[in-house]
Amino acid sequence: MVKRIFDSMNKPVRRRDILKGAAAVGAVSVFPAIISRRGFAAENPTLVNSIRSLSNPYHATWNKGGEAFAKSVGADYVTLVTEGNSEKGVSDIRAIIAKTGGNVVINVDPNDAPDARPIVEAVKEAGGYVVTQWNKPADLHPWDFDPNYVAHISFSGVPYGKAMAEALFKAMGGKGGIVALGGIQSNIPAIERKAGLDQALAENPDIKLLDFQVANWSETEALEKTNAWLTQFGDEIGGIWAANDGMALAAVEALRADGRAGQVPVTGIDGIQLAVEAILAGEMAGTVAWDPYWQGGMGLSIGYHAATGKFDPAKEPKDHREFYGTGVIITADNAQSYYDSNIKAEPELDWNDIWGRVSGQIQY
Amino acid sequence: MPPSVMPTSIARTGTRVMTLHANAAKSAVAVPKKTATRRWRLASWAPVIVLVLLCAVIAAINPNFLSFGNFVRIAQAAMIPLVLGLGATFIILMGSIDLSLEGVLTLSAVILSMLVLNGANANDLGLLAIPIVLLVGAGVGFVNGTIHVRLKVPSFMVTLGTWFIGVGVANALIGGTAIRINDKLVRALAIARDPVIGFPWGVWLALLCFLIALVIQNYTRLGRYIYALGGGEDLAALSGIPAARVRIMAFTLAGVFYAVGGILAAAQLGLGNSQIGLGRLFTTITAVVVGGTALSGGQGGVHQTLIGVLIVVVLSNGMVLMGIPPSVQIGVQGLMIIVAVALSMDRKMMRIVK
Repeated sequence: MVKRIFDSMNKPVRRRDILKGAAAVGAVSVFPAIISRRGFAAENPTLVNSIRSLSNPYHATWNKGGEAFAKSVGADYVTLVTEGNSEKGVSDIRAIIAKTGGNVVINVDPNDAPDARPIVEAVKEAGGYVVTQWNKPADLHPWDFDPNYVAHISFSGVPYGKAMAEALFKAMGGKGGIVALGGIQSNIPAIERKAGLDQALAENPDIKLLDFQVANWSETEALEKTNAWLTQFGDEIGGIWAANDGMALAAVEALRADGRAGQVPVTGIDGIQLAVEAILAGEMAGTVAWDPYWQGGMGLSIGYHAATGKFDPAKEPKDHREFYGTGVIITADNAQSYYDSNIKAEPELDWNDIWGRVSGQIQY
Repeated sequence: MPPSVMPTSIARTGTRVMTLHANAAKSAVAVPKKTATRRWRLASWAPVIVLVLLCAVIAAINPNFLSFGNFVRIAQAAMIPLVLGLGATFIILMGSIDLSLEGVLTLSAVILSMLVLNGANANDLGLLAIPIVLLVGAGVGFVNGTIHVRLKVPSFMVTLGTWFIGVGVANALIGGTAIRINDKLVRALAIARDPVIGFPWGVWLALLCFLIALVIQNYTRLGRYIYALGGGEDLAALSGIPAARVRIMAFTLAGVFYAVGGILAAAQLGLGNSQIGLGRLFTTITAVVVGGTALSGGQGGVHQTLIGVLIVVVLSNGMVLMGIPPSVQIGVQGLMIIVAVALSMDRKMMRIVK
């Protein structure tokens, strides 16, 4: 082996060697999935955000919120990404717990509901603190893991799906036909948002749902479905309701190719930057911002306050342990002010106002 | 494989190739004529029959299907899968597979959105961005081919790797956000239409790519060699075809087609983000296979991919027009894949199916 290496040193570099080297460099630079930023203080707990990926605007903003909070308290900050892989998500969290010896605050958006249990159990065993968001099994409760499982935060899709439908109907003048684009059929937020739409439809008999299609949160699919609708229903379409902003923006593009962008109101949900800009341009009628910046920062802040003894989770009421957060409804009326204070400028949040956006205990 | 057990199809392709190599320019044109009678087999027309039947059924249920507006929309929906399918066809013809399509498409769309007039930075390269993006696509394809051939890594694994690397680089470039494209000329590909027939310019671009691919496939050495490799690589190599070089060139060519797909996707959605490629691989491979190009290589071609793409696109358009519930649609798509492939397979030449 050694002889081979020596031999190869005497030989001129071949194309194949360069390729091997390039592959090695590539592999090394791709390998670290743990993106860590070192802070200053060492005795502070390490702050960890575990999210799906940095490739979608939602989680990218989430990560920025986490960074901002970590900076405000001078703690080490680590981002873990699951890339949609539950096993990776759980084992990365176990690794960081081992590395920090349990002196850790974890704010996690579990890849799938069942993942929450092993995560919570691992944190409890090591004496760290954890806040979960969106996904957890219905029978896993923070109060069963006092004080380490601090809180679970979610958002109910029903009232916001309904609010968007109402904003859409208002923009249509209260009557006409709509088409609706849903998310993945078995996905809880998609089901809840659709339920909100159904409620609004039941209350507005002058609005007719022409068709509902599932576009699986995909822009491409939404574009194709909208195109087919334009053939099928033509001018009957008075408005388009979409279960998220990506699909809503794709519907706007389908309308644009048909020369009707801005004439048919479209609503989305999530509050991404391009959607807010589309509202400002008059091409969308509304969206709901979950404020992932708040989720990324405040999830950590709640855990941090518990870890540093500012409050005792065991003494908090249940609606502080499992609660719905508050979304921001954005329509043409407030789009400009939302844009100025949340998108153009880095949002300024009071990280100590930990229960400021509680809007009720989660119902199962 | 010892020659004694070599299937007849490989042996025949081999002979064909040897004459081809000896007298490349002339016989490249002559070869299709020689096999013309075989081409009229019913099986090779199965995809066309499926397409016609599909159109007839949909039109019977919803006559709007036949409106001009819907033709435009189908063409619009087909342009991206077509361009991607052209690239993938060349690879599949060699009996290889290219999974890097989503990676290259995403990377191209993101780079394009960053170079033309956009909502995130001050760049405004205009049409000059297009050759840059095509070069990026060619570069990734070249890397695919080179690693595959020189390091003898199976194409499946190499391109799986470059798929993730492509999406990863796109992520690193824009950090998870979406960049709006404000360049009028790029957007015109999706929005502006030609004054004569009324198709968006992007559709014409896709058709131009189709013609180029057809010429490459039928009238160039590269195209004929690709068939030869798919029919039986050992024999092709023995008869003097530079197999390694052909493979690298084919992957490079495919990369360029994927980059065109990226440009069209960015133009269509008016933005570049790192999720823009999601789900394209499945549609593309489906379209290529449904068109009748065999995954084992050597059979099929870009003309069949055109039909395959149309089947897939017409079906998904038609299912909405026919009011089929969303939960059933995905199942119908799966069924269609099996039916189309089962109809178009040439079982006479087959001894073993894996």
